[in-house]
Amino acid sequence: MNAQGAPMSALSPHLPLAAADRWLLRACLGLPLVAMLFFFGMPMLSIVWRSLLQDEGGFGLGNYLALMDAPGVWRAMRNSLGLGAAVTVLTVLLGFVLAYGLERTCMRGKRWVAVSLALPMLAPSLVLGLGLIFLLGRNGLVGKLLGTQLNVYGFTGLLLADILYALPQAVLIIRAALRHGDARQYDAAEVLGATRWRQFVDITLPHAGYGLISAAFVVFTITITDFGNAVVIGGDFSVLATEIYNQVNGQMKFGLGSVVGILLLAPAALSIWIEHVATKRQSRLSGEASQPPLPQPHTASDFGFTLACGALAASMVAVIVTVVAVSFIRLWPYKLEFTLKHYDITLSDGYRPLWTSVEVSLLAALFGALMLFMLAFGVRKLPGRLANLAKLLSALPVGVPGLVLGLAYVFTFNTASLPWGVLYGTPVLLALCNFYHFHTQGYVTMMTGMRNVPTQLEDAITVLGGGTVRVLMDVYLPALRTTLLSVMVFIFMQSMVTLSAVIFLVTPAMSVGAVSVMRLDEAGFTSQAAAFSTCIMALVGGLSLLLHGLRGRARPIPV
Amino acid sequence: MSLQIDALNKSFQAHRVLEDIELEVGTSEFVCLLGPSGCGKTTLLRIIAGLLAADSGSIRLGGRNLATLPARERGFGIVFQSYSLFPHLTVAQNVGYGLAIRRTPKAEIERRVGQLLATVKLDGFEARYPAQLSGGQQQRVAMARALAVNPALLLLDEPLSALDARVRHDLRTELTDVQRQLGIPTLMVTHDQAEAMSMADRIVCMNKGRIEQVGSPHQLYLQPRTRFVANFMGQSNLLSLAQLQLLWPDLLAQAPAGMDTATAAVCLRPEKLRVTPDAAGAARVINSCFLGSIQHLTIDHTGQPLLAEVDSSMHFQPGQAVQVEVLAQDCAWLQS
Repeated sequence: MNAQGAPMSALSPHLPLAAADRWLLRACLGLPLVAMLFFFGMPMLSIVWRSLLQDEGGFGLGNYLALMDAPGVWRAMRNSLGLGAAVTVLTVLLGFVLAYGLERTCMRGKRWVAVSLALPMLAPSLVLGLGLIFLLGRNGLVGKLLGTQLNVYGFTGLLLADILYALPQAVLIIRAALRHGDARQYDAAEVLGATRWRQFVDITLPHAGYGLISAAFVVFTITITDFGNAVVIGGDFSVLATEIYNQVNGQMKFGLGSVVGILLLAPAALSIWIEHVATKRQSRLSGEASQPPLPQPHTASDFGFTLACGALAASMVAVIVTVVAVSFIRLWPYKLEFTLKHYDITLSDGYRPLWTSVEVSLLAALFGALMLFMLAFGVRKLPGRLANLAKLLSALPVGVPGLVLGLAYVFTFNTASLPWGVLYGTPVLLALCNFYHFHTQGYVTMMTGMRNVPTQLEDAITVLGGGTVRVLMDVYLPALRTTLLSVMVFIFMQSMVTLSAVIFLVTPAMSVGAVSVMRLDEAGFTSQAAAFSTCIMALVGGLSLLLHGLRGRARPIPV
Repeated sequence: MSLQIDALNKSFQAHRVLEDIELEVGTSEFVCLLGPSGCGKTTLLRIIAGLLAADSGSIRLGGRNLATLPARERGFGIVFQSYSLFPHLTVAQNVGYGLAIRRTPKAEIERRVGQLLATVKLDGFEARYPAQLSGGQQQRVAMARALAVNPALLLLDEPLSALDARVRHDLRTELTDVQRQLGIPTLMVTHDQAEAMSMADRIVCMNKGRIEQVGSPHQLYLQPRTRFVANFMGQSNLLSLAQLQLLWPDLLAQAPAGMDTATAAVCLRPEKLRVTPDAAGAARVINSCFLGSIQHLTIDHTGQPLLAEVDSSMHFQPGQAVQVEVLAQDCAWLQS
């Protein structure tokens, strides 16, 4: 009987255990916890510390006050807030249309829409900006066809790029909210004589409400912390992300940078809190036996959704395909001849950053999966104060924008006097930064996978004479194989394309692919930037397909 | 070897789940822990297995104290309700798992696996995977896996509860046959009293973390000592001594000395009531329920409802006057 509260798999402290088993269990909880404290807790504390450390010496709120007379920062903040608001409103609106179309209508081409929405995940965010420039820029395809010169740099371009960038994530969140509905509520409303519109207003919207709010905060956060698009298509329109970069990397104003970094934690923290409340409410709303509503065909509205969603998906595909196309064309959009010359990268380090990216991402994926596996196992087997600390720390990274984490890493590891300074400028530190950046999502996935672990099988092994190693190898590993692969694919993909955290950590000697794209674009080699982006997308797409394939084959039981 | 448990206690937070448990499982004995869900029987089993630590008390096996012995070194066998086989291993690998842990030579494992699969009537299933077997077959594999290591004690946690009725019935006999044949001391947890009665040498009836009564199935059924046991072991008519005085005053004289008249009661099993049609009888049939070879009669005896089980060849009409008699030897006297 397990009604008394203690989880079956948890070990009580007085239980006799072989010494080796006890130490292995402690290591499983302890090692990831120490790593988390060192590579997430310490950097976050040091950014707070740094914000209180005044540039002119002394300790106090001087940096916060200095913000008052930093007109550049104020302008950037106003721009960021305005842009964030505009992107949020439009993205949530479009995201709702896409999510509703995918979940609640019988529109055609759902698969294609879903696949197009997954495309931006394969590329660094700035690829979207790049694509928009090739289409709508001064030397863009559209301008050439219309015979005019368009100017997409600045607010408009950034708005479009950020919408495309944020749309997939918004759709993901809103779709999840729409999936929670209960078909019987609609049946009841139908029988009571409610029109489709009334049903939408009275049932669908209230249910999706929290999803929409949560999506809005996520979109807002990633918009104001996105770095890549601001650099590529922002033009003279300065935003917080680029401003911090200039303050820190350009003018070495660490204090001011850290203050802005801390301010950037606010919207993210708020969005996580909202999501927390939302999931609580959602689980209260939907009863245990609720059946998800099945979309019914309606010729007119299905046609409308097919059209709208198709157009959105097509623009997404157009932007990304354009980048790939440009990379093979001699002089876009004037000399449309096939060429491979843009793949001859003129940057001094050539393709090396791409391989560094792969190295960093593989390292992050492997180390991350191992740490998360140990942590999830340790938290489950040794509940208590340490496990609670680990759980709390695991939930925090999702609230830290990459930009802030990158800053925090600079403050912590860019030091010659402390021993961990040796990590600075190495791929290992990049891998660690990328892993802890996406730690929460990986941890949640792992804990969800833990539910599939058969506890009684674990007990059976113990009684049969097997130790912790056996339990791990024969119960947890087989039960979590697909989860582990998913976590690895996730960390790998994110690590390959992220720019906002790593931009602070790269050095002239050690850089990554996403940064190369940015540098090529800055230097005016836009076609080469396209070529480099294409290489990244091909690598990420190829490797993740391969890993997905492995996951598909990871079912050893012939039926 | 015999298992001996003394003064065992266990609490979860403030909740006491096991109170002062005293229990012995003799060499080659089959003992059932019987009780409703939440009575602590599974907790007791997990403590014996070493999967859970007791707060106080001792557990000894053949005189050896188990308190400091990790579960993996106890050398027990365990079978769970949910089969708990390794989905990624074949039947043979599953059965041989414990032996492989003990680094038994391959040929020896193969021989032993074959022998055990024959014992549980699954010869020829070596290469199958658990997903290809029925529930009953999977549970037999789980049995074979537990037996493979020659366990000093076999622990069964509701092993038949997940199976459907017919398979469950067949496996009951098979399980007891195998246990008798191998002579391994066995402890089974169940909430099904019919299962416990048909399988156990001895039943330990538990309620709210305490042992209510220990005895053979006959003893528990015919001589329950508490109302809980009387109720849990089957249908019964429970009468306080005052009610008994009213219906059968002469039986009260047979009550053992020293009973507390305020709390004591008598348990009369329905089949022990002798019902005969008698126009002058003080009892009336309220209704009858046909159950095949037998029938259940609801009877009103001077205001006291009674349940009687009689042969279905006799015919009773609702409202019919009857005489109800009980023999003194069929009375079970309950202390509380």
